[in-house]
Amino acid sequence: MSILKAENLHKRYQLGKENFVHALRGASLAVEQSEMLAIMGPSGSGKSTIMHLMGCLDRPDEGRVELSGRRVDNLGGRELTRIRGKEVGFIFQGFNLVPTLSAVDNVSLAAEYAGQSRRKAREISEQALADVGLGERLDHKPSELSGGEQQRVAIARALVNDPRVVLGDEPTGDLDTETSDEIIAMMRRINSDTGTTFVLVTHNPEVGEACDRVIHMRDGQVLEEAASG
Amino acid sequence: MRTIRNVFRRKLRAFLTISGITIGIFALVVMGAMAEKITLLVNGGTEFYKDKVTVTEGESHGLGGDPMSVEKIRSLEELDEVAVASADISITLEEEVGASFGMPDLITGTDMRGQELESFPISFADGRDLTTDDLGKVIIGSDLVKKLNGRVGNTIDVRGRKFEVVGVLNKTFSIPDNTVYMNLSDAQDIFYDNLPEFIRPGVDKANLATGGTIYPTPGTDPDQLAELITERYSDLEAVGPQKFQDNIATTTGIFTMIVYGVALISLVVGGLSVINTMTMSVYERTREIGIRKAMGASDGRIIRQFLGEAGVIGLLGGLLGLGFGAATTALLNMWGEASGNQVFLLTPRLVIGSVLFAVFLGIASGLYPAWHAARMNPVQALRHE
Repeated sequence: MSILKAENLHKRYQLGKENFVHALRGASLAVEQSEMLAIMGPSGSGKSTIMHLMGCLDRPDEGRVELSGRRVDNLGGRELTRIRGKEVGFIFQGFNLVPTLSAVDNVSLAAEYAGQSRRKAREISEQALADVGLGERLDHKPSELSGGEQQRVAIARALVNDPRVVLGDEPTGDLDTETSDEIIAMMRRINSDTGTTFVLVTHNPEVGEACDRVIHMRDGQVLEEAASG
Repeated sequence: MRTIRNVFRRKLRAFLTISGITIGIFALVVMGAMAEKITLLVNGGTEFYKDKVTVTEGESHGLGGDPMSVEKIRSLEELDEVAVASADISITLEEEVGASFGMPDLITGTDMRGQELESFPISFADGRDLTTDDLGKVIIGSDLVKKLNGRVGNTIDVRGRKFEVVGVLNKTFSIPDNTVYMNLSDAQDIFYDNLPEFIRPGVDKANLATGGTIYPTPGTDPDQLAELITERYSDLEAVGPQKFQDNIATTTGIFTMIVYGVALISLVVGGLSVINTMTMSVYERTREIGIRKAMGASDGRIIRQFLGEAGVIGLLGGLLGLGFGAATTALLNMWGEASGNQVFLLTPRLVIGSVLFAVFLGIASGLYPAWHAARMNPVQALRHE
């Protein structure tokens, strides 16, 4: 059963007064429950844009997005915010942690946004960090953590609300090969253990190899689907 | 804690912005404390004059009217509307009066005929009231205790004469605080001594007065009585409660407005600096705002976060401004105590009001930047470098 479905998505971004980028031109994609999927393609092919639309960060100009069988592209801003808080988790390139907050506070923030009390949020965040092997580094600031540790905090943050889908935009982009392998293995393990669906936008062929399936994009369209892993 | 940490991400900028608010609130507190003191003095004066008429020599005196005298004051009792006309001598405590805030220190000698009718509440911090038999004795206002070393039982020097202090008044925030009270005849002696020598032989010392306090009969409007006296006695200037209000309260009201106006201008400058800081902060943290929105932060959450930070800037600036302002007014009052010139009054409403205003100013200045942050498109915010 598809947990995420994108049908004929079109998206244009305005750069200047009459300067538009046609980022998606009728892209369609279905992601199965508990699947680990890689989206690959050259820069500007629309892979990040399709991830943003499927993650309810933005709305398509045309087309349809379904999450768990429910149409979400036509929902209001408040409902999209709720879905981002509870049903979807994000991992970004460059970790994107709040620099003034400790590891546990960074994770707690996501839990608080999803409606948890501060106390409960801290409790589940400590557990989420322990699950990614950072139980001893809860109170460290991002600047006191290595790149791999920061990305593990970001993974814990993406998972803290038990989302149905985790969307990753170049999750290994800023990491060296060894750390990158560790992070890929960690996501693979979480996917196997919990059944959380992962959709990873990447340039890294090793990420593609670790995934169940790879799809390629070019010029705003999904080219082909190929089984992997 | 998170909010405070966010405010101090850029320590120098936070410090400078908070300093802007601090200076504004400092100005508000110091100027406001002065305005509060003026208001209190005016209210005290209004209270003091509310049921009586004071008379002094009128402008036409020099054109042939009778000179002011005890007799002349007492003659006002012939009017049906006058219950008691009490003669008094009011002169400044110092022979040479320098610049002073509000009323200068005074010596008031009174015949005490109006004592029974006096409604202005006066109580004693120490000692007792004067009687007509207390020649060579005085009671003094609270602001003069230190200046004259005037504790009860002490002998003090008043214009070259020695007087025993028999009572010290509680603070009234009005004229009595800066006044030495004595019997009329004692004041007449001082006044006489200070007249030019060539005038003295022709002066009846026991008849000397500089003015009078007129207590109306029950049911008589003091303002109407003042008008009546001015009409009948062209050489007397009569001031009733309304005229006092018109002369003093209106003038000081304008002064108070100017004082608060100056403080408000400095606060506007502080507010603009908060807007600038918060706008910069929102711009620098565009990507972080994108992350927070991706994590499910609602627009309301983002607005609350930035308004909270702006409010903290306002609160810290307000507390510091209040602290510096309170310390400054306390020091200046301490310095002024020796000369009986305490210019500032830090009232609870000023303390609470200034801090609340600082927080309000911070939050109001943060509104636009916070709204701007909340309205950001998460995808564009995430792409921001």
